[in-house]
Amino acid sequence: MELISLFPTWYEPAVGSGWVVGFIATFHILASHTSVGAALLFAYLSYRAWKDDRDDYLDFVKKYGLFLLVFTYVAGSLTGVGIWYSTTVASPNGIGALIHSFVWKWATEWVFFVIEVIGIYMIVYLVGKVDKKTHMKISVIFGIASFATMVIIVGILSFMMVPGKEAWFEDGGYLLGFYGDNTFIQLAMRAMFMLTMTAVVGGIIVAGIKDQAFKKEMTRKLGWLGIIATLLGAAMFQLYLNSVPDYALLVMENRLPDYFGPSIAIVLALTIGYFILTMVQPKFLVSGFAGTMAIVILVAGLWPEETARESMRKPWVAGQYVYSNQIIGRDVPGMDIQSQLPLIEKIGILKAHPFTPEHLQTVNDGNKIQAGEFITMTYCANCHSVSDSGIRPLHRYFPDQVNEEVMARYIRGALVPGNIAYMPKMPMLESEVQAIAAYLTKINNDGLAATSLAISEEIANREAKQLADKADLVVSMKPTTEEMQ
Amino acid sequence: MEVAQLTDMMYALRNPAGVPFYPIVFIALGVLTFAMHIFFVQLMLGTGAITAYGAFSNNPYWQRLASAMLEIAKVSVSVAIVIGVAPLLFVQVVYDPQWYTANVLSARWVIGFIVIMIMAYWLMYYYYFRNGKFGQGADKPKARWSIIASLAIFLLAGWIMHSLTSQMLHPELWQQWYMPNGAMDTTGSQLHANNPWRFAFFILIAIPVAGAMMVAYRRFKSVREDADHAYLNWTAELGKKWLKVGSLLVLIPYLGWMVTLPETAENFAGSIWSILPALGFIGLAVWSHLRLNDAKSICNYMVLAMAFIAVLLPSIGREVLRYDILNGFFGYNFFDYKVIIDWYSTLLFFGTFAVVGGAVLGYFLTIAWKVGQSKGVYVPSAAVDRAGTIAIWVISLWMVHFFVLGFWVWMQ
Repeated sequence: MELISLFPTWYEPAVGSGWVVGFIATFHILASHTSVGAALLFAYLSYRAWKDDRDDYLDFVKKYGLFLLVFTYVAGSLTGVGIWYSTTVASPNGIGALIHSFVWKWATEWVFFVIEVIGIYMIVYLVGKVDKKTHMKISVIFGIASFATMVIIVGILSFMMVPGKEAWFEDGGYLLGFYGDNTFIQLAMRAMFMLTMTAVVGGIIVAGIKDQAFKKEMTRKLGWLGIIATLLGAAMFQLYLNSVPDYALLVMENRLPDYFGPSIAIVLALTIGYFILTMVQPKFLVSGFAGTMAIVILVAGLWPEETARESMRKPWVAGQYVYSNQIIGRDVPGMDIQSQLPLIEKIGILKAHPFTPEHLQTVNDGNKIQAGEFITMTYCANCHSVSDSGIRPLHRYFPDQVNEEVMARYIRGALVPGNIAYMPKMPMLESEVQAIAAYLTKINNDGLAATSLAISEEIANREAKQLADKADLVVSMKPTTEEMQ
Repeated sequence: MEVAQLTDMMYALRNPAGVPFYPIVFIALGVLTFAMHIFFVQLMLGTGAITAYGAFSNNPYWQRLASAMLEIAKVSVSVAIVIGVAPLLFVQVVYDPQWYTANVLSARWVIGFIVIMIMAYWLMYYYYFRNGKFGQGADKPKARWSIIASLAIFLLAGWIMHSLTSQMLHPELWQQWYMPNGAMDTTGSQLHANNPWRFAFFILIAIPVAGAMMVAYRRFKSVREDADHAYLNWTAELGKKWLKVGSLLVLIPYLGWMVTLPETAENFAGSIWSILPALGFIGLAVWSHLRLNDAKSICNYMVLAMAFIAVLLPSIGREVLRYDILNGFFGYNFFDYKVIIDWYSTLLFFGTFAVVGGAVLGYFLTIAWKVGQSKGVYVPSAAVDRAGTIAIWVISLWMVHFFVLGFWVWMQ
């Protein structure tokens, strides 16, 4: 039996599985970047508290640390696990490709996670219980450990876009996959972003400071941190765009919505304006304002940026060899990986998929719509919804009342040979083309309910036929009167 | 589907990238870190249950104990989550065919798990912030519902994980779960498999684990000048009772689990791997009865290690059970995973774990320990202070190595 590594499909009709991953990942990035940035800020403040004998810096660290402990560490660590869970169900081979190449790097990051979690408790609860020098040492270790989690994950995230070095495809190995242009520039960009977030979220804590002179001092410190980090971050983003493959930029230009550029510019201006305003007039800094700014940056800044990164790597989802629909579309001799496309071309996607039930392995008049549904879920559901809502609904791509022949021609000409730049190549047997065309036409013209009904009828007819066949078999096995005598 | 077809299917689902080191190492690390994770889960549940009981009790000792155990419960959740990352990583390395399939088939629950964990965790903090350090002569705790709700939601999260790990072991039912009655179900809205006995066993271990913590708590606090020995002795006596009764109590659901194992694991129940966990808990009860009579003895700390061993044994048994089902019945051997050795990243992990982890956590835990036993501001000795400096050097050198090596590779 010839099978490829394909899992069942999880299809989320309301928003799309890709968006579920996106929601969780964006929230995690907000929480984790703030945590790492704050850890570096704590190291600095704790050092100053020791050097200048300042208790108020340590009080600030304690308050900010407790806030982080409850919000970003709880939500951050769980949404971090959430990224694994959501990609596991939405893109098992995508996350599998990363896990199998970088398991030890993730395990190394885990060592730093453990240090981080114990460290944040110590930083918060030991203020006033240990001398300032010891607190400083704990904070410095904590700051470096937090940053270590960032540097490790960035290499893995970069691999999703493109392996560090082109030589990885031929030679394999962790180092060539991990380190590259994209890795370091992305690290610099994220480091700046995390400092911006630290300054913005820190405003929530500064807003609660009663001592006006100290409030002014901290507002200034965070303000300068925020302005410098935001400007450098914007510059790094431009550099980052230069570090990605040309086709990724082409995809970005074609695929991203028009509001992408302006929204990034507006968020930049808003962020810098916010820091200047609060530095000039610290009384404007109230916790609600700072909290709102954190949300604004999340929704208008981080979300488009992450969406762009996700869109740009299409049709690939990991390492430029796993397609977004989970099929391996390229040879990687360095890892002894072979493209799965030739096998699918030979035997069809239905026979190659390990979860295709027996009754769908060969297309016939009695299972055509259901086979089409199976193929659509396998090939398309990662990026397209079959309903009206959700991610890139399929019906938007086809005219009303399209017929099966036109649909089949489109599939044969565009999808099967892989003629759409940002979409995977999707090999199918001619019978499979007919099946998916029948399904997509039905969905497009008659809607989901009618298509589900048609599939139910196919199943009912098949079961009825099986019963009838069984009955025939029983009848044919009955001995005749003559034989009984 | 025939067994041979299921075997082919599982082999096909393996990730073609292979693994960067021998599978046995990932399995061993998976077992060890799972045992650590579940130990802290049980500690969290046990101390959380004490917190909840103390919230409704009029006994001042119970209230004080509840307040102290809430601190442990909060930290235990954090530690359980962060340690839980490791077995979650390793399960994806060698059990990816089984784990990914089980998850995708219950995708909504997998996503829901994250949300409900955040809810449960925040509810625990909510209770903490509403009450602070209650039980020190303060009024009745407020928002007592929140600690109960927190525990209930944590149990639901546990049930989801229990169900997913059960689903891994039923490849014969995967197809049926994906296409019930012949129609495709891509919603992932069902939890398909469970064994309530197994779930009850892992949850009830919280009783002896919390008992061990109460005994160790007495020993830890009793050296302080301001120690209230009457209260601490009461706590330790209660802990001993929980240890002994709890260790024997868990044998009931354990037996239930062994009796209800699927047919695919028919040889496991009578094997040494199923008997050892039971012996472990009987041993813990006996050891606690014999060795915890002297309040100053080191055994009052060792009890935590003994409880951990008792948890480790079923963690090993659980792994052997997986092997029995997947290999013994279905012929799927996870030891023959394609290996493409990557020495650098392998050594990087073990080096970071031993050198960075050892230096930093040794320093952190020494400070935390000393602070817990000191009154007022703790100033470390020269040796402890030097350990801090060494830890900073070690972690800084790690960072230097990361960039130096990275830039070198980049420039090639």
